[in-house]
Amino acid sequence: MVTQIAKPTAGPGTASSAVPGPARGRLRHLGRALRPGPTGDANGAALYRRWWLPWLWTLPAIVCAAGFGVFPFLNTLVLSFTDAKPLGGVAHFVGLSNYTRMLGDDDFWLATRNSLLYALIVVPLMVLLPLLLAVLVEKQLPGIGFFRSAFYTPVIASSVVVGLSWQWLLKDDGLINTWLEKAHLIRDAIPFLSDSWLILLSAMGLTLWKGLGWYMIFYLAALGNVSKDLHEAAAMDGAGPVRRFWHVTVPGVRQTMLLVGVLTGIGSLRVFTEIYMLGSPTGGPGGQARTLPFYIRDVGLDPLSGNAGYGAAVSVALFVLTLGLTLLAQRLTRGDEE
Amino acid sequence: MRARRLTASVAGLIVLTLTAAGCGLSGGDSEDGEATAGGCKVDQQNVGSGKLTGDVKGKITFQTTNLKKDFGDFFNGVIDAFEKKYPGTSVKWIDDPGDAKFSERNVANAQACELPDVINLNKVTATALTKAGYLLNLDEKDPEAGKPFVKAFWDSSTLKDPSGADIHSVLPWYTGGINLTYNTEMLEKAGIDPEKPPTTIFGLFEDYEKIAKSAKGKYFATMANPLWRIPADWQQMDIKVYSDDGKSFVFADDPRTTEWVAWMKKLYQGGAMPKDSLSSSDDPSTPYSNGQVAYGSTNPSFVRFVKQNSPSVYKKTGVGQYPFDKLGHTTGAPQYIGTAATSKNAPTALAFAKFLTNAENQTAWCKDPNVVIFPTTTESLDDPFFTTVKGNDPFAEARKVVAEQLKTATADEVVLSDPQRNAIVAEVQLAMQGKKSPAQAVKDAQEKANELLKQGG
Repeated sequence: MVTQIAKPTAGPGTASSAVPGPARGRLRHLGRALRPGPTGDANGAALYRRWWLPWLWTLPAIVCAAGFGVFPFLNTLVLSFTDAKPLGGVAHFVGLSNYTRMLGDDDFWLATRNSLLYALIVVPLMVLLPLLLAVLVEKQLPGIGFFRSAFYTPVIASSVVVGLSWQWLLKDDGLINTWLEKAHLIRDAIPFLSDSWLILLSAMGLTLWKGLGWYMIFYLAALGNVSKDLHEAAAMDGAGPVRRFWHVTVPGVRQTMLLVGVLTGIGSLRVFTEIYMLGSPTGGPGGQARTLPFYIRDVGLDPLSGNAGYGAAVSVALFVLTLGLTLLAQRLTRGDEE
Repeated sequence: MRARRLTASVAGLIVLTLTAAGCGLSGGDSEDGEATAGGCKVDQQNVGSGKLTGDVKGKITFQTTNLKKDFGDFFNGVIDAFEKKYPGTSVKWIDDPGDAKFSERNVANAQACELPDVINLNKVTATALTKAGYLLNLDEKDPEAGKPFVKAFWDSSTLKDPSGADIHSVLPWYTGGINLTYNTEMLEKAGIDPEKPPTTIFGLFEDYEKIAKSAKGKYFATMANPLWRIPADWQQMDIKVYSDDGKSFVFADDPRTTEWVAWMKKLYQGGAMPKDSLSSSDDPSTPYSNGQVAYGSTNPSFVRFVKQNSPSVYKKTGVGQYPFDKLGHTTGAPQYIGTAATSKNAPTALAFAKFLTNAENQTAWCKDPNVVIFPTTTESLDDPFFTTVKGNDPFAEARKVVAEQLKTATADEVVLSDPQRNAIVAEVQLAMQGKKSPAQAVKDAQEKANELLKQGG
């Protein structure tokens, strides 16, 4: 049997010639479908070179991506040119009016500024800090498992618990202010929860705290691939730990850094929960700490006063920003490599 | 060749997607003459005129809002009784957590034509679903549905349908009421008589100010976030929030609104409210139980929370009537029960909605010793349990206060969407921080709220 299957070039029907009855017909049909291309191939690999086979294997993924990614995206794009309401009803084509409204809307620009700031501050820190953490816990020392688990705990903590814990930390009479006051570093409490800028910065801290453990795992995997020989050679040449980190470790995990940068960039532009937890439904006093997703929820999703068309236009703007940042990150990394 | 074929396929997919997206937008009445509700194809008898008929049998879903934890036994009992009364029926109970994404989840369910058959709603969501045609028109489908209810509550369930006509689309359920809960010791220290609660909102603000002066930063009068007070305070002061036709906000036209904001600023900056509570989601429940604020939540059932969590503060707790101010009575904000027009089993769904809200079940639930809630049916309110409240502990006092106010209460709650309320609150917060004058904040708040009202159509 093995010999028969290994000789597909013998032509259709050969492999199934020993099979009697209706089964032979089915195998002949399959044989035609897998027939090698004009080049022929003695080892049978050509069976899998039909142009449509890759499409066939990836079809489930393509269907999922089209259904849950492409279709909603295109639908959002179409919606952005209408005055659709969240609960349906008749939507009218309104041309570019949602986009012109967006460009003249101060609240949109405020949310865009906050989202961009969020990404600009969080991304570099989120690329670097988990790497340092990974370097710290990489070594196999007694009890290191405890620290790895401890750093990972915020990742699996519930958002509600995290929000309450951070409020408790940041309140005027919370742990941080109490410590600072006791250390005579401040006289009046720092208004972490009533100043828009500080709410934004605190939310960034929360994002970092929750993400450190997650990306630390990425880096732990990547650090395993950095050659120990390079470290040893650098050490023998007199390079200290800091120089080895910058000149051996960082280049060794560059691709992971890019991945973390892109993922964090996308996550930062989509941030909502942290602001909501620390700044209440208004997004801080005066709504001054609102980010783009927050703004989209306010203008586009409410069943009573939402305008899904306008919300979709802002979503498209958010997509453009995300795409821009991703491309920028790729370009910068490519430039570095060159 | 293959590349061209692939390009053509992708282009075809895009056209198909865009077409499908376009179809999704059209909504409204079905062009092929089929009955639709909110863009979903439904059974012909669920919409239009004529009573709903049909056998009460089959499966339905019933959604409550955050009630399973405390009242699981009660609702399981009601469901069992319904299924026993109507053999062949089955009710699947789901409990929404009622968090910040409550509206979004319901919108998504409605858009997917999968709204639960029977659903517990607040007035805002009920208004939105009725406006989009997702709830049964009870005036047509069951003209007798309103008979068991107190007139004020039945009137409050009048909402606008997609054509703008007034219809009843929900059944009133239970109502909570509003009262003042305070730490008598802190009030006395500030020279306030706990037995004589203020009768106006500004009178209450004066008391807050007295507490701030006597507390000297050790505790506060109340929480700062105006989210808890808008539009309730304004409505109590009889400030007109909407224009007569409901197409614009007019609260800024009343000088008392600016005065109210000026008071809030004075109280915030004068130490009557914790600085970090300006945009905090916390209501006063926990700080009150910890002895950090003098006034607790205005929800009468809050007293139970204090009793359970802080017996020492409970002993000092007093309960008083909420200031009726210029309105002269309170405005109830009942919960409602709606029946989805998209239900595949509407007769059963409507039967269950009526069963749940009937006098017997409302009376049984509202007698729960752990809550201060009142029924909305006439027969239930005649029950001695609600007319002659016994005892003089804070919990009993809360019941008495609400029973008293319900004699004159109306239920014409002012409906603000969350974004509209947030927009107004945000401007008031800026004024409280001194970043805007109260007059400017009120003007800007009205402008932003009007923009949202306009875009909502």
